Amino acid sequence: MRAPRAEQAANYVVLVVMSVVVLWPAVTFVLAALSSDRAGRPAGVDWDNFATAWQQAGFSRAMTVSLVIAATASLGQVLLAVLGGYGFGVLGVAGQKVLFPVVLLGLMISLEAIIVPLYYQFRSAGLTNSVPGIILIHLGTSVPFGIFWMRAAFRALPRSLFEAAEIDGAGPLRLLLRVAAPLVSPAVWTLLLLAFMWTWNDYFLSLVFLHGDNVTATVALGVFQGRYVTQINLMAAGGLIVAAPVLVLYVLFQRRFISGMLAGALRE
Amino acid sequence: MPEAGNDVVRGTPLVDRTTPHHRVRARTLHARTRWTGLAFAALPLAVYGFVVLWPLLQSVQYSFFDWDGVSQATWVGLKNYTGFVTDPVLRSSLGHVLVLIAFFSLLPIALGLVSAAMLTRARQPGMGLFRWIFFLPQVLTSVVVALMFRRIYAAEGSLNSVLSAVGLGGLTRPWLADFTWALPALGLIGTWVTFGFCMVLFISGTSAIPDELYEAARMDGAGAVREFVAVTLPGLRGQIGVALTLTITTALRTFDLVWVTTRGGPGTSTMTPAVLLYRAAFQNPDVGKAAAIGVVMAVVCLLIALVITKVTEED
Repeated sequence: MRAPRAEQAANYVVLVVMSVVVLWPAVTFVLAALSSDRAGRPAGVDWDNFATAWQQAGFSRAMTVSLVIAATASLGQVLLAVLGGYGFGVLGVAGQKVLFPVVLLGLMISLEAIIVPLYYQFRSAGLTNSVPGIILIHLGTSVPFGIFWMRAAFRALPRSLFEAAEIDGAGPLRLLLRVAAPLVSPAVWTLLLLAFMWTWNDYFLSLVFLHGDNVTATVALGVFQGRYVTQINLMAAGGLIVAAPVLVLYVLFQRRFISGMLAGALRE
Repeated sequence: MPEAGNDVVRGTPLVDRTTPHHRVRARTLHARTRWTGLAFAALPLAVYGFVVLWPLLQSVQYSFFDWDGVSQATWVGLKNYTGFVTDPVLRSSLGHVLVLIAFFSLLPIALGLVSAAMLTRARQPGMGLFRWIFFLPQVLTSVVVALMFRRIYAAEGSLNSVLSAVGLGGLTRPWLADFTWALPALGLIGTWVTFGFCMVLFISGTSAIPDELYEAARMDGAGAVREFVAVTLPGLRGQIGVALTLTITTALRTFDLVWVTTRGGPGTSTMTPAVLLYRAAFQNPDVGKAAAIGVVMAVVCLLIALVITKVTEED
């Protein structure tokens, strides 16, 4: 059903006004990043800002660290989610009447509730200021959403599929790899993108757990902006560099991102 | 698996899956696989237990001790919790959270509802692009969002330029350095981040409300406002609940934005519980107090989620 023309025009007015409100800060930020003026007022285009910011903020190192963490953690998160989701969604898990609610509880536990002992526990285990250490934390905190997400995807598959394959003598692992995995690949891809975005965008965990050479791009950006308060154009250029990887993915896979975030929020 | 029935019916409508014979078979199949299932789920459960559940229990334990992170910890009972009443900074941070909730939650939801009401429910060409724009703040890392607004709120920033240009030069100030205005200024950043999300959530929600309800309201002679109150609002109940839960917990947990822009200042005028937690845990170690703040925040988040879900799901 399409709305009549007059109504459509009125709709566009509302939508455009709201879009301008959202876009205005972002657009002025991009203009500032390109500006040759230190205060970031629009003035001549200066692409060198990006190179200067990259160097002065030490992004070569920080972006690499972020990429390693986000890539490893998001792949690991998906693996754990598939294992857990397959267990809870298809095979059933011994003790699931207790275990599943405990997993769901994790969806509502905020990081603040665990961060303090986590830090001191990791410190005594030598896992602070360590890239594997923070990857482990990203993996653990992602389990509730991951299991919840993949369980729903597996349960949407017809059960007869598994029964037929069982009769053919396929074991649980072959069932997962040959039958189920290809069918849930859309859910897997969406989860991978969301997981990458969440780990890349993390600031709090990185701030607490990583220092010196191991800081991520978001923390490096925070340090950089504190040091170059007066050079707005460089600060903005640095911001765009850090935002770029996720923004590129968002442009390429917008449908997955949006439907994933909506479905994730609605817990459907 | 007690709930399995529904999915079975949805998956294969041609076969009657409810015959007793089949149920028995499904159960035995399930009994055979549940230990294998546990083996599959063991790794994720172990990592989750180590990183989340164990520290969660320890948090509660830590919160009863006075500990500087190095020397011997001493048991202090509930002293770390009484700080919420006796410590003026901690107490005022709770007040700041209420202000932030108004900006992160109530304002965006109101805006989202108004815009969802103003838009017709019919499909609109180009909606994909608008959706993309409205979700943009969701994919930006909080540090970048903070930088964007730091620039806007700066003494020489665009907000002040706009104010001067329209003849309101008397109002200009460095917004984030102002004792009165820093907190609302931070709040508006939250509004910017969450309102597009609320809007998309509500727009997609209204399209799921059956047309008949609107037709019936129109037949009864309901105007636009009555129609909104009688049909749209109840229809969006679930979505409003989700938006409230997500945005209130975001407001309660505000850390990144404050840490990058004001660090809780000027003075303590933008201090939030999460910033106090960070300082007590890692900067000036009073670990027990930090743990107590974390425990209280978690309990409050949990209660908010449970209450809102309960209220919005009831019929």
